[in-house]
Amino acid sequence: MSETDLTYIKPKIIENGLHAIIRMPSDGLKIVQLEKSKSINLGKFGTFDVDGILGFPFGQTFEVLDDRKVRPIGSTIYSTVDEAENEIETEIDNENRTPVLETLSEKIDYLKKLDIESSDSNRNLIDIGNSTQSLSMDEIETLKKTASGVNVGEAIIDKLIKSHVNFNMKTKQSQEKYLRRKQQKFLRRFTIDHISSSRLLQYYIEKDASKVLDMSEESLGLLLTLANIQPGGRYLVVDETGGLLLAAMMERMGGSGEILVVHENEHPNHFVLTQTDFPQALQDKMIKTINLLQFFEPENEKVEWTDLPQEELDQMKSSRKVHYHRRKQNVFQTNSAMDNAIKGNFDGLIIVSTLYIPTLLDKILEKAGGSRPVAIYSQFKEPLVETQIQSLNDLRLLAPTIHETRCRPYQTIPGRLHPLMSMRGGGGYVFSALRVFPIEDGVQAVGRGISRKKQKLDDRAPVE
Amino acid sequence: MSFLGYKEYIEEGDLVLAYLGRESMKPIIINSKETLNTRFGAFAHSDIVGKKYGSQIKGSKGYGFIHLLQPTAELWTLSLPHRTQIVYTPDSSYITQRLGITCGSRVIEAGTGSASFSHSLARTVSTKGTLFTFEFHKPRYEEAKREFEEHGLINDPVIINHRDVCKDGFEIPEVELKSTAIFLDLPSPWEAIKHLPKVISDDEKVGICCFSPCIEQVDLTIKALQEHGWTDIEMVEIQGRRWEARQTMVRQVDDAISRLKDVKTRKLEGIEKKRQYYANNNIKVEDLTPEQSDSNDEGSKKRKLKEEQEQTKVTKTEFNPFGRGLRIKEGDENYQWCKISKNEAEVKSHTSYLTFAFKTASTSTSSL
Repeated sequence: MSETDLTYIKPKIIENGLHAIIRMPSDGLKIVQLEKSKSINLGKFGTFDVDGILGFPFGQTFEVLDDRKVRPIGSTIYSTVDEAENEIETEIDNENRTPVLETLSEKIDYLKKLDIESSDSNRNLIDIGNSTQSLSMDEIETLKKTASGVNVGEAIIDKLIKSHVNFNMKTKQSQEKYLRRKQQKFLRRFTIDHISSSRLLQYYIEKDASKVLDMSEESLGLLLTLANIQPGGRYLVVDETGGLLLAAMMERMGGSGEILVVHENEHPNHFVLTQTDFPQALQDKMIKTINLLQFFEPENEKVEWTDLPQEELDQMKSSRKVHYHRRKQNVFQTNSAMDNAIKGNFDGLIIVSTLYIPTLLDKILEKAGGSRPVAIYSQFKEPLVETQIQSLNDLRLLAPTIHETRCRPYQTIPGRLHPLMSMRGGGGYVFSALRVFPIEDGVQAVGRGISRKKQKLDDRAPVE
Repeated sequence: MSFLGYKEYIEEGDLVLAYLGRESMKPIIINSKETLNTRFGAFAHSDIVGKKYGSQIKGSKGYGFIHLLQPTAELWTLSLPHRTQIVYTPDSSYITQRLGITCGSRVIEAGTGSASFSHSLARTVSTKGTLFTFEFHKPRYEEAKREFEEHGLINDPVIINHRDVCKDGFEIPEVELKSTAIFLDLPSPWEAIKHLPKVISDDEKVGICCFSPCIEQVDLTIKALQEHGWTDIEMVEIQGRRWEARQTMVRQVDDAISRLKDVKTRKLEGIEKKRQYYANNNIKVEDLTPEQSDSNDEGSKKRKLKEEQEQTKVTKTEFNPFGRGLRIKEGDENYQWCKISKNEAEVKSHTSYLTFAFKTASTSTSSL
């Protein structure tokens, strides 16, 4: 096992074998593993060869050209009209003829400059719904078939604009918005980023939020912060996000420390981790799994192991030998995970689960070390409300708190800043507290018969 | 190393947070000769040494208690001396996650302010990364520097500079910053953005977050970001709330009706008793008018009234479904309760706008 297998450095360059997340103009996401001399199909946004993007830095945006080729460009959406106009003007001035336009975006900008007028206000704009658009769906489909490769998007947008009865009645701002919408639909561009916990989460939120218990990026960030995740920690985790929480924790632990994952099945299912680039050896070193039965009743679950005599091993068929060694390794791993559980004293207890929290917490809390955070995510507030009520009488927990955090996105255009009309609902709640050791024989709080006023200042229930 | 790593037992010289209450924590450096005096009693440091972190301890007089905690960036945020408006945990945790700040990141922060976010960032980047923090206000710079020293964070991972970044940029002699995440909490971040190209990583995607309370600041920031080639610009606002779990009594409408019936029954019983009392004592109702009362004999009047009250008394009811007049503790087993939650009395409705933007590695343009 080499040293590089046991550390994790975020890759900067797009390389063969790595995982990546592709963002399309529609904001749709796709997770891929890059394989040399294979191609990737982005549906209506085109197909391209992986070889064409290798060697570029992650974060790069490409435009799909003909013959599955790509060319690197600035960004997926051409942002403002002003910017576009300036560029085109200089090109026209320099050459005094129709400029050679290579990319789709340049063509669109040129088109906007030449053909399209805009209105100062929208008072002449009459909204008659779909009939303003004289180009029918059938015509668009035909265009898709007849126009070749890279020209598809351009041809469609060109036609759309020209056939849009009211387009020049729209204000510049709304023309811009219209174009942006059409670009999102028809441009053949994509941005390729490296897999990170945030991007994985975004992918699952869009694909099937129930897989990650509807957790928002802000809730994940808060959970990790409140849990005080750092390199070298020993954490006790219940994770029902398929390993997304584990991936986020591994990013913050930088290859050192230990995570004991307690799960409720015979085998854990960390499907998210298979989409990351954490070396398998590193995952094996940091993440140990154990089921609830093994965790809570290790005395009955320990497996005795005696090596078979060497002669017997020598006679085994190689396939059986492999099986024997795998079994031996499993037994040792599970036993050591159980020893770890018995040892307790974890540096943090992090739970993302649909199990009933009040009883789970009551049972598992003993294993958390002193002054260490307990951080629990729940999709719903009610189980956490019950948890907090229970915690107020549990002297092992200090400062139990329920947090809610919501990120409100804005339309981000200078001079026209406002919150977006709609945003994603849900996102979950986070419970936090600190594990403490109460004095065993109890203590008289200041205030009992000393000063009622002072008693009020203390928000902890006094111990009798 | 109080803020990085974990300790089980308290030793001489450790920084310990004495937890008195949610909003009241005292940072103390353990020195066996000293005593911590609080409104919950006196606590000798010598009694603290050797205790486990997380222990609850009794005051020297045998009553009153505190908890002994190992400091974390988040606890520090709650207890630190405010020199400026601070970045609270809902904002700081989101910024950290969205900018992809992890173990080993190289982060720029300006200004340092109360160093609340600095502690959180230092914890996350750890000694494998670096936090370059800049503060232009001399006294605040010195305070923050002293704190980083006391907290074992100075130089590794925190490098603090006294500097007006808007005027003089971010460059540090003989240090390649190569930062991948920038956080600007400045009155005019747009003046600092132009200095960034020299100090950001050129082979990785770089993220920036500008933290401004006014929308006019955001407007100027976006323009500056666009001008300097930042893309994917998006402004958001974080709304953090805390909920407090409570229990409210389940008061059934049928119980309220039953109580009214009970009141009515007892009222009728009282009237009946009075009627009989008057009849037995030959008192006519007309005699009871105030004009007729004999003002000369206050004593006998009072005596009579008392006698009347005693003889017509209705027995006290046992029926009290909602515990009226009693001091009922929330959650009392004799009553039914509904578990609810409520917001804090005062919520932070606006901290600041967060403007995010990203820049792809510049090697991409050279390869064109």
